[in-house]
Amino acid sequence: MLTIDGSEGEGGGQVLRSALALSAVTGTPFRIHKIRAGRERSGLLRQHLTGLNAITAICNADVDGAVLGSTEVVFKPRAVVPGDYTFAVGTAGSANLVLQTVLLPLALAKGPSRLALEGGTHNPTSPPFHYLEAVYAPLLAKMGLTLGLTLERWGFYPAGGGRFVADIKPVEHLTGFDLLERGDVREVQIRAVVAGLPEKIGLREVAAAVHLLGRDRDDGRVLSVGGGPGNALWIKVVCEHATELFTAFGEKRVSSDQVAERCAVEVKHWLAANVPVAEHTADQLLLPLALAGRGSFRTSAPTLHTRTHVDVIQRFLDVPIALVEDSGAWRITVG
Amino acid sequence: MDKAIDNRPVVVIGMVGTTLDAGHGPRRWERWRPTVALFQREDTAVARIELLHGHRYTALAKHLAEDIAAVSPETEVVLHRIDDRDPWDLESVYGTLLDFLSAYTFRDDEQYWAHITTGTHVAQICMFLLVEAGFLPGKLVQTSPARGASKEPGLQIIDLHLERYDAIARRFAARRDAAVGFLKGGIATRNAAFNALIDRIERVALASTAPILLTGPTGAGKSRLARRVYELKKARRQVEGPFVDVNCATIRGDGAMSALFGHVRGAFTGAEAARKGLLLSADKGLLFLDEVGELGLDEQAMLLRAIEEKRFLPFGSDREVASDFQLMAGTNRDLRAAVARGAFRDDLLARLDLWTFRMPGLAERPEDVEPNLDWELDEVARKTGRRVRLNKEAREGFLAFARRAPWPANFRDLSAAVTRMATLCDGGRIDVDGVEDELARLSAQWEVPRTASRVDAVLGAAAAELDRFERVQLEDVLAVCCTSKTLSDAGRTLFAASREKKTSSNDADRLRKYLAKFDLSWAQVSAP
Repeated sequence: MLTIDGSEGEGGGQVLRSALALSAVTGTPFRIHKIRAGRERSGLLRQHLTGLNAITAICNADVDGAVLGSTEVVFKPRAVVPGDYTFAVGTAGSANLVLQTVLLPLALAKGPSRLALEGGTHNPTSPPFHYLEAVYAPLLAKMGLTLGLTLERWGFYPAGGGRFVADIKPVEHLTGFDLLERGDVREVQIRAVVAGLPEKIGLREVAAAVHLLGRDRDDGRVLSVGGGPGNALWIKVVCEHATELFTAFGEKRVSSDQVAERCAVEVKHWLAANVPVAEHTADQLLLPLALAGRGSFRTSAPTLHTRTHVDVIQRFLDVPIALVEDSGAWRITVG
Repeated sequence: MDKAIDNRPVVVIGMVGTTLDAGHGPRRWERWRPTVALFQREDTAVARIELLHGHRYTALAKHLAEDIAAVSPETEVVLHRIDDRDPWDLESVYGTLLDFLSAYTFRDDEQYWAHITTGTHVAQICMFLLVEAGFLPGKLVQTSPARGASKEPGLQIIDLHLERYDAIARRFAARRDAAVGFLKGGIATRNAAFNALIDRIERVALASTAPILLTGPTGAGKSRLARRVYELKKARRQVEGPFVDVNCATIRGDGAMSALFGHVRGAFTGAEAARKGLLLSADKGLLFLDEVGELGLDEQAMLLRAIEEKRFLPFGSDREVASDFQLMAGTNRDLRAAVARGAFRDDLLARLDLWTFRMPGLAERPEDVEPNLDWELDEVARKTGRRVRLNKEAREGFLAFARRAPWPANFRDLSAAVTRMATLCDGGRIDVDGVEDELARLSAQWEVPRTASRVDAVLGAAAAELDRFERVQLEDVLAVCCTSKTLSDAGRTLFAASREKKTSSNDADRLRKYLAKFDLSWAQVSAP
């Protein structure tokens, strides 16, 4: 049986999620061992278990080791069953990560699916809902996958309680794309959200970000929502050929100005790199492009995380993936 | 320590924290709320919580249930209203919790955690007691606020099986050993009966102020033990006066009365100064009367009164004095026989032998010879400042003899033997010659013919593994062997009776096989 070493690289959770998705899509059973070996808390944590249980549900898999703290899991998938599912995530963990685990298997299945995802929607440890909506879903749409996202309730750490719905229209084959140029900046949206906290926090963040990026005050807006407590600032940059979204989270003992600076720095780095795909998006694109069988994009230097991810993909799929340095940036070519 | 992972679903039993768990509005999430914190850890999954709350806190409990559902959708929250009219009354809280737990069905396929971070201190104590008493078959768990870089609250599981805590177990063992070692004077004795005896004496000594009678042969350590009992009681602050050790055999006759009970000035000719007497000296302390059977009948009568009334009349005085002492007595005589002869008062014996312990002689504790030898060597080092050692051969030779020796004066003999060997040895090392000389001295002193054991000589340390039954047989076989010229000669002698009856044809072979059982060959056992 295909065996994956869960201690390799640094992406403990990402390796597990990708392996599960690939296994469900390809029907290949696998065994992963030494899960998070060498970490302070080794083995499966609750967030991993939620993803594992979700994908087990959509493909009626036979699973061994699906318990908290488990360092070895054996996963044997069956055919993916599309339909309506609700998945709830504890500890205000990211519901988005659950979506990412089950999305591609469901998209490549025989019928439409509707997922209700509950838990954290805006969480520092994973791509927030607005990133999925503004960056991820449009990229998938380019590949023929229609993903409709509707936010019903915001869920911040630590209270959670968020909810969104994902409508997935099935696609027989994903089509790859080439995304090599960014193009000129067309639009910048600076948005702060405050949930259960004073609006002035958001106003300061937006003002600081506008100033740091030298934008117009009209580019910024504050959303005051219920639930919480929680605060995030995101900056969406729409370019001619690519869109990216960067997020920073407010937390105790971190000033609004610092939050704005963290976010603006990421934007500036990406703009300076002059690549269409930011580092965090590169990881998201690998799996769908590999399933499409071809495609390419330009991004900044790949992280160890990305390389580990490539290794896992190639264990399941016989597809070449090349990482080549190209005039100060990197070109990643699939197929 | 058992580290096996318990994969059974976790069920928490806890109380609503009326202060710590409270809070409305979004900012409640910025505070540490112990009951919610149980569900905010990535490495902890709780299948169900049985949440107990008083009637005034139903709204808070429901609110908590919603918050728990938000952070732990996989958890079932079951609310239980309990009587909390007097949350600081131990009896009432204990009763309420006990009623709840008694009605609760605990299942083998679930594990239970008693959450004790919330509730009044009284309620926490009750939870602890109920877990400890087994009414709540589980572990105690507490939560704590997030610390340092971690955003997760802390969670500690306290398993009340203390033996699982190595450090605690070691400390308990050390304390216990220290107490037992106290009476044994730090000698790691191995004789089970003796160790049990010492344990009993310790328990009695610490629990009772009644007289203790130690019987047993002379030199068995009665006086030494009495001093250790005194030191133990003093360490536990049960006595504050001195230890007074009297050998009654040395104060017989006219002086006995005055030595024990004191006298006033001019009480008798020559009594120029008043004398306090040993009983009064022992006030608030411990008086050890060794060889108590040697006391005269008059002194016995006075002593009886002093024990019963804690008062007595000094010689020549018309005013009683009071002295409150703990009495221990020792004897190597049969006091019952003395009573029958009229030499000892039966009412005094009745007072003395409420707690009678018989100290075994050294010959009855062969396994304790070695630790006592080491202790005596330590004593030499302590007294002379010079450490003396026995080399391996010398030690084995001494122990082989000592384990079977009669030791008529017991530890007195052993102590004297070690002192002599230590004094006579060169350079702090006692060798085989030094041991041989001492063993000869002891044998002569005891007037027992010392025939060196041939079994010990040929088998060395392995001889210790022989049963006594085998040893006597082998001893005799070896005696024959070393006086015989050949294996056949020895065989003929040893199996003479069988030869008569012609039931044995090859005596030499029979003997060779017998010797082989002990890994011995003819060459090793024949005459040199």
